[in-house]
Amino acid sequence: MCAGVFVALNIGGSDQADAQTISDWGNETCLECHTEPSLSTEFPSGETLDVTIDADRWHDSIHAEWDLKCILCHTEITAIPHDPLAFDNSREYAIAKSDGCVVCHREQEVVDDSVHAQAREEGDLEAAVCSDCHDPHYATDPPKSPTEIPETCRTCHSEIYDRYTESVHGSALTDGNSDVPTCTDCHGVHEIAGPSRGEFHLFSPEVCATCHADEELMDKYGINTDVFNTYVADFHGRTITLFQEITPDQDTNAPVCISCHGVHDIQPADEAGSSVAKENLLATCQHCHPNAEAGFPEAWMSHYSASTDEWPLVFYVRLFYRILIPLVIGSMIIYVAIDLIGRLRRRKESVA
Amino acid sequence: MTDDSAGRRFPRFTRSDRLEHWVQVIAFTGLAITGLIQMWSESPFPKVIITGLGGINSTRFIHRTLAIAVLIATAYHLGTAGYRFFVKRIGKQMLPDLNDVRAAAHSVSYNLGFRGDPAMEGKFTFAEKAEYWSIIWGTVIMAITGLMMWNPVATTKILPGAFIPAAKAAHGGEAILAILAILVWHTYFVHVRRFNRSIFTGYLGEEEMLDEHPIQLAAIESGDDTITIPPETLKRRRRVFFPVYAAIVVLAAASVLVFLSYQEIAITTVDPPDTVVEIYTPYVP
Repeated sequence: MCAGVFVALNIGGSDQADAQTISDWGNETCLECHTEPSLSTEFPSGETLDVTIDADRWHDSIHAEWDLKCILCHTEITAIPHDPLAFDNSREYAIAKSDGCVVCHREQEVVDDSVHAQAREEGDLEAAVCSDCHDPHYATDPPKSPTEIPETCRTCHSEIYDRYTESVHGSALTDGNSDVPTCTDCHGVHEIAGPSRGEFHLFSPEVCATCHADEELMDKYGINTDVFNTYVADFHGRTITLFQEITPDQDTNAPVCISCHGVHDIQPADEAGSSVAKENLLATCQHCHPNAEAGFPEAWMSHYSASTDEWPLVFYVRLFYRILIPLVIGSMIIYVAIDLIGRLRRRKESVA
Repeated sequence: MTDDSAGRRFPRFTRSDRLEHWVQVIAFTGLAITGLIQMWSESPFPKVIITGLGGINSTRFIHRTLAIAVLIATAYHLGTAGYRFFVKRIGKQMLPDLNDVRAAAHSVSYNLGFRGDPAMEGKFTFAEKAEYWSIIWGTVIMAITGLMMWNPVATTKILPGAFIPAAKAAHGGEAILAILAILVWHTYFVHVRRFNRSIFTGYLGEEEMLDEHPIQLAAIESGDDTITIPPETLKRRRRVFFPVYAAIVVLAAASVLVFLSYQEIAITTVDPPDTVVEIYTPYVP
């Protein structure tokens, strides 16, 4: 049947006539062939590409909903039957096709600080393009399931995906909890920055604070929202905050949340395997303080505020100064005031 | 002391004393500023100063450099005070005693009008001794807690970890105490009550002596204040003092240096080692 259509359309037509006909094509013209199972094309590289379209899924997709025509993207198709694709391999084809997405999706144009665009500019052709994440034929909006995002990233980042699904966030997501962050909640979408250093590192506590400083949300899980304040009150957090505000362009190695809690493999703090569990804390500190010994981790107050129960020594030192300062300075002020009164009185007397 | 048209002058501070004071003025002010802005770094004005100083790392660097200046000045003072105490044997007049308590109580009743005669004090008054010993106390606390925080890795080899945040609390509390004490006590007694220029000129005038140090003035007038030490005695005392002092300073300096450089405080690289994750690992179903 497919061959028949090819023949029918090809009969006696000049190129000009064909072009006019093309603009009138509906998608069903394309689907007539491309719904055939196991339809594939071969690139000069020898690689084959499956070109069968699942019509039902296509009709459910956001692009079908918008009534977009196949040839809007597949502009290289100007006649039927058409020639094999003029690309050496499927990757080259995907990259070239993705360049066309911005015609409609201007606001999503990959910006310069996207780590994927950067990698591609540096010659890494595997770096993701639009179609790698957004299947142009089947993408829906919103995504069909919350796991769709990590599963998409997994295509290239499977090792990180495996760590994530084992983590407190990833395992909850798999169990259907949509409160937890997925990849894009922390990394962003089209402006994904390189995560290892620089601004991403520096501003990452704010990413965690989005949820962990949200009292209503944290209340659901019995998590204390003081974690952020107590971090900022200490040496490390103070350093990070000041770098953020004063020298955001400079690198600092002061630790952020993920430095101690882990990134993709983050575990609940009270779980035995957690990097911040009491028995693992020294090893975690030693990442940056290689010579630290058993007493060292207690120098960090573990997000606690000093009280009679937690870090009592700190509590009592503070209490001592809270009493001593007003006592000493108050006595000084009284002594000075008496001396001043005496002097003024005597001066008045001597004048009189 | 000489009689001239400007009135009599009584020597109070040597050139060395005045130099010590200037070092303290600069270091104390600098430490107070660079310390308070760290304590209140979340407020807008401290942030402006930290920015002006080039960021938090350079602020900390300046603070620690000034702290070293204080340690050096303290070592120097240990020498001048020790010399006065053990060689010239005139140090006792700086030690607090019951007379100071009496003088303070006396001054209070005099100022309140309960008695008509002012307290008679010697070379160092109650107010001066109180300030001097407060500075000694403050310097000891600030130096110990500051060094503890400077190298927490070394500190926690000796002390429990909780001593680090405790040292931070004490360092901040003691700083507030010291700054307020200077603002209240020092400002009043040497600037407001009377602008005492002796720390700049080295001399006090007769009226100042009569008002604040009448007992010392009387001793000067009667010639009791001049102690002559036989040259051989002086020589013998020096022979003991200088080696002991040198040994203490060298030992203290070495201890501080070893403590601060003892092993690594923290890594200096941007990323800790062994945190690399393979980024591109395509999924193979």
